[in-house]
Amino acid sequence: MTDRLGLRVVVLRVLVVSLLIALGGRLWYLQILSGDHYRKVAESNRVREVVTPATRGMVLDDDGRALVRNRTSLVISVDRSVVDRQPHAGRAVLSRLAPVLGMSLGELQQRIRFCTATVKPPCWNGSPYQPIPVATDVTDEQALSVIEHADTFPGVSADLQAVSQYPYGELASHELGYLAPVTQDEIDKYGKQRGYHQNSLVGAAGLEDTYDSYLRGADGVKKLEVDRFGRVVNVAATTPPTSGDNLVLNLDAKVQKATEQALANQLSVLRSQGKSAATASAVVLNARTGGVVAMASLPNYDPSVFTGGISEKDYRALTDPANGIPLLSRAYQGAGAPGSTFKIVSFSTAVTKMHADLNGTYGCPSTLQIGGQTFHNFEGEAPGDVSLHEAIVVSCDTIFDTFAYDAWLADGGLRQGTAARAKANEYFTTMAKAFGFGRQTGLDLPGETSGSVVDRADATKIWDQLKGSYCRRAKNGYPEVKDPATAERYREYAQEACTSGYLYNGGAATMFGIGQGQYLSVSPLQLAVAYAAVANGGTVLKPQLAKAIVSADGKVVKTLKPVVTGHLPVSPQTLGYLRDALHGVASEPGGTATGVFSDFPPTVPVAGKTGTAEVEGKSDTSWFASFAPVNNPQYVIVASIPDAGQGATFAAPVVKEIYQSIYGIGQSAAFPGGTPPAALPRTNPDGSISPPASIAARATAGRVAVPATSGGAPVPASSGGTGGPVSALAAEPPLRAVTTRLGGPR
Amino acid sequence: MTGPDALRSSPVVLRGRFEQGRGRAVQRHSVPRRLDWLLLVAVAVLTVVGLLLVWSATRPQELTAGGDPRAFLKKDLINLAVGLVLGCAVAAVDYRILRAYAPFVYLVSLLALMAVLVVGTTINGAHSWILLPAGFQLQPSEFAKVALIVSLAVILGAKHDDQRSGVRVTPGDRDVLAALALAVVPMGLIMLQPDFGTVMVFVFVILGMLAVSGAPSRWVVGLIICGVLFGGAILQFHMLKPYQEARLTEFVKSNRNTTSTGYNVDQAMTAIANGGFTGRGLFHGQQTQGQFVPEQQTDFVFSVAGEELGYVGAGGIILLLGVVMWRALSIAADAGEPFGTLIATGVVCWFAFQSFVNIGMTLGIMPVTGLPLPFVSYGGSAMFANMMGVGLLQNVRLRSRTDPHAL
Repeated sequence: MTDRLGLRVVVLRVLVVSLLIALGGRLWYLQILSGDHYRKVAESNRVREVVTPATRGMVLDDDGRALVRNRTSLVISVDRSVVDRQPHAGRAVLSRLAPVLGMSLGELQQRIRFCTATVKPPCWNGSPYQPIPVATDVTDEQALSVIEHADTFPGVSADLQAVSQYPYGELASHELGYLAPVTQDEIDKYGKQRGYHQNSLVGAAGLEDTYDSYLRGADGVKKLEVDRFGRVVNVAATTPPTSGDNLVLNLDAKVQKATEQALANQLSVLRSQGKSAATASAVVLNARTGGVVAMASLPNYDPSVFTGGISEKDYRALTDPANGIPLLSRAYQGAGAPGSTFKIVSFSTAVTKMHADLNGTYGCPSTLQIGGQTFHNFEGEAPGDVSLHEAIVVSCDTIFDTFAYDAWLADGGLRQGTAARAKANEYFTTMAKAFGFGRQTGLDLPGETSGSVVDRADATKIWDQLKGSYCRRAKNGYPEVKDPATAERYREYAQEACTSGYLYNGGAATMFGIGQGQYLSVSPLQLAVAYAAVANGGTVLKPQLAKAIVSADGKVVKTLKPVVTGHLPVSPQTLGYLRDALHGVASEPGGTATGVFSDFPPTVPVAGKTGTAEVEGKSDTSWFASFAPVNNPQYVIVASIPDAGQGATFAAPVVKEIYQSIYGIGQSAAFPGGTPPAALPRTNPDGSISPPASIAARATAGRVAVPATSGGAPVPASSGGTGGPVSALAAEPPLRAVTTRLGGPR
Repeated sequence: MTGPDALRSSPVVLRGRFEQGRGRAVQRHSVPRRLDWLLLVAVAVLTVVGLLLVWSATRPQELTAGGDPRAFLKKDLINLAVGLVLGCAVAAVDYRILRAYAPFVYLVSLLALMAVLVVGTTINGAHSWILLPAGFQLQPSEFAKVALIVSLAVILGAKHDDQRSGVRVTPGDRDVLAALALAVVPMGLIMLQPDFGTVMVFVFVILGMLAVSGAPSRWVVGLIICGVLFGGAILQFHMLKPYQEARLTEFVKSNRNTTSTGYNVDQAMTAIANGGFTGRGLFHGQQTQGQFVPEQQTDFVFSVAGEELGYVGAGGIILLLGVVMWRALSIAADAGEPFGTLIATGVVCWFAFQSFVNIGMTLGIMPVTGLPLPFVSYGGSAMFANMMGVGLLQNVRLRSRTDPHAL
């Protein structure tokens, strides 16, 4: 019996020991084998981050004028972690605050509720530990009523915060872009790598987007350890914010202003003539570097509508076609047929690939019959046999039509890809692509269009994609088009595209030679890049808005050097001939733009080409592409005004006005001496910015040169040049700017 | 036997013996010499560790409330002092004399269990506490454990002393029925509180004592089968309160975060895993100091050990509990007569079941029940009862017929 009792106790021992071993094993599994996973959970459990936004860098023009900077704003914020602990979750506090801010209690409560999957804005999607800004730009009285009665407004604070400011209003709005609250998606994807936080503002368009990583700086983070109830137990770590770098542009505020002004003037002229033109754009490039000196598109917008989050109504207005879609920049996001400005490509193709003789003459009939289609010379002119020089000066279409048609025939015409010509030469489209058409220029802005240059292979590809809809349209017609005749014409197009759209259309190929037709569309920026290549001797450059990135304390972080993206397969001799011909356009008798530039001083000889592109259902698009001075080109200027009329009539005067502002013809010069500043603006010890040394020296010429860094008031930028303030920029704010920008509250 | 071997190899014991040996002639039956010192040392270390863990677990909440950060430590020390007195008292009276008091002890525990239903206070869903002045509470169900063990040992071991020497008789059906009848009353009263965990302690104490007593195995097997069927029926027909059912069933689910019970276990497991091998250091566990684990000074105290003391400390607690149970089973085996064996067995089953369920619950492998970890968790009544349990073990040890040193 004792043995049996002993045995039973042994069984109990075994049972107890095995249970304890099981516990030990489980403990090992949790603590040693899966510790890492749980450590992360524990970390996220207890650490809360409070973000101090970094000072966002400024965007400066080439003279150091701030295009985007910060201004201080009185902001009233509500700290939920304090307010929620008041009786009834702080209802009384909020009811007192709402009338002070001039909003309803419901509105205020909406602003401070936390965003979730189901709670959509208005709501707060930042950290619950961060005070929530409920009103920006409040008056001193409003702020004081909160500060002075702290006991009746627990958890409510009024602070000075920095918000984006655009001293020049709408100037260069498409280029500057804007900030938007970071999305959860972006945080998930890039949060760690880019340092986004829940309430970060990130560049959502324009330069703010492209150079966001430089401009944003690094937010300061205070890591708070909290307990289960969210009470702060300890401050675990504090990282101070690092200011973002300043971005220095090639863009010049004065030239930009003049460009936008010239476009606006022309649009109002057009409106006074009863034309429906509503949009216009222009590009000014440094022909030698590719630097974008100015780029404008009308209509534009005031980027400050995005400050603090854009309302849905405002956003709809910015994207409404009835307003001309102000958000869209026609200069680099829109493309159309370039008309005769494209003849630089046709000329180069004819000379380089088709053995056209620079010394020969070619017939320029007023009409040309090709495959049942009649091609007209512009306004039916028939100057007879002319040289290629003359053909460009007077803009003879039929000569270039013929070259393009011959190239199409040589590639097999409609019998493409069969028999004799298995591989087409594609002289015209290849040359167009060498000039930079049909692909993005590489501009440092997001959303650039690549335009289109369609060759035979592309045409087949496009047809493969679209034949379904073509054929459906051919069958069903266009019932939504009111005019029966137009609808029938559209249906016939669709019918043709359905049955033979894969064929490279001879008519369209011919029109390609004069910059028209369905196989070609270019953006004003692309055209400017192509003209810069002609002007600078054949180098295709990447257009760049940014010139350098300079840290807040003035160190040059990065200099954006000119980037070569290609070379024209055209001999220097041919390009010289072409430049001479383009000069003739604006100077010789019979030149299409001679009239426009007749009163221009000989010190600034301009070369250029007019373009008048036909658009179905609208007036012609007026183009002018140019460079100057002819002998040693510094600038390329392209202007484009859709739905206007002839190139010489509308676009060329705009370009002329821009040259006048640059060189100071009849006004003070934006660039005295005609060259853009080579040096970078200088950063003063206090973080403010002074113009580049060369400009400052000029500005103080005749006086004792006082370096702007020596303490006195910074030199106002508008005192540059010889005359008084430029009238267009009279309202320009002085450079003594609030030099900090916060990617602060929305 | 391993017990005495371990005893001899223990330096503490060796020194004790050495000093005694030098002082005066060691009496063969001297109390210090016959005490189970290894058991006492293990209990002492567990208790001290428990005090520290309770201190660490309650310090942040007292600090944020502006209270005395050592408030719980002080109360726990008072509890310990009272517990030591009770334990010594229990150890001092010859356990065979206890037999005479058993009916009285049993009746008093029943009265206390009834009283709690009338004047008790509800904490965490169980109506188990009688509030005393100065912030102390009494939990009669803890004392009922002691009372039940003694009472069952009386019945299941009663006749054996009356047998002629040499022949031992194991309990028969009548004894088993009487024991079950005795147990059902307090279990029913505790079920009314309801305190399902303590009822389960009773069930396993009864099973263990029945099995060791040598009662007919059909009773043991039958009771296990009945228990399983009853448990199944309870779940099937949802006879428990929803939170009780959730506690029972949730530990097998992977996604626990949906309920507060799941939250407790998740936070406890996170705390334990966060400790790693060597722990975060006392007062430095982030989960613990952030009070992420509810009830971390009582039912979830093991999570504090896991986070702040790491595998070394938490594993050490398991090891020390193993020492306590191993020694207690040796005492059971060496008692030399059934009454003592059964008392020791009952105490082992009680400690073992509570330890396993409590630690298993914080490790996510057992359902959540409100059972404290013996010697470690904060709680006056539990401390008193545990110390009385140790007193019972030493009592049996002191009066065991087999002299371990005579081997």
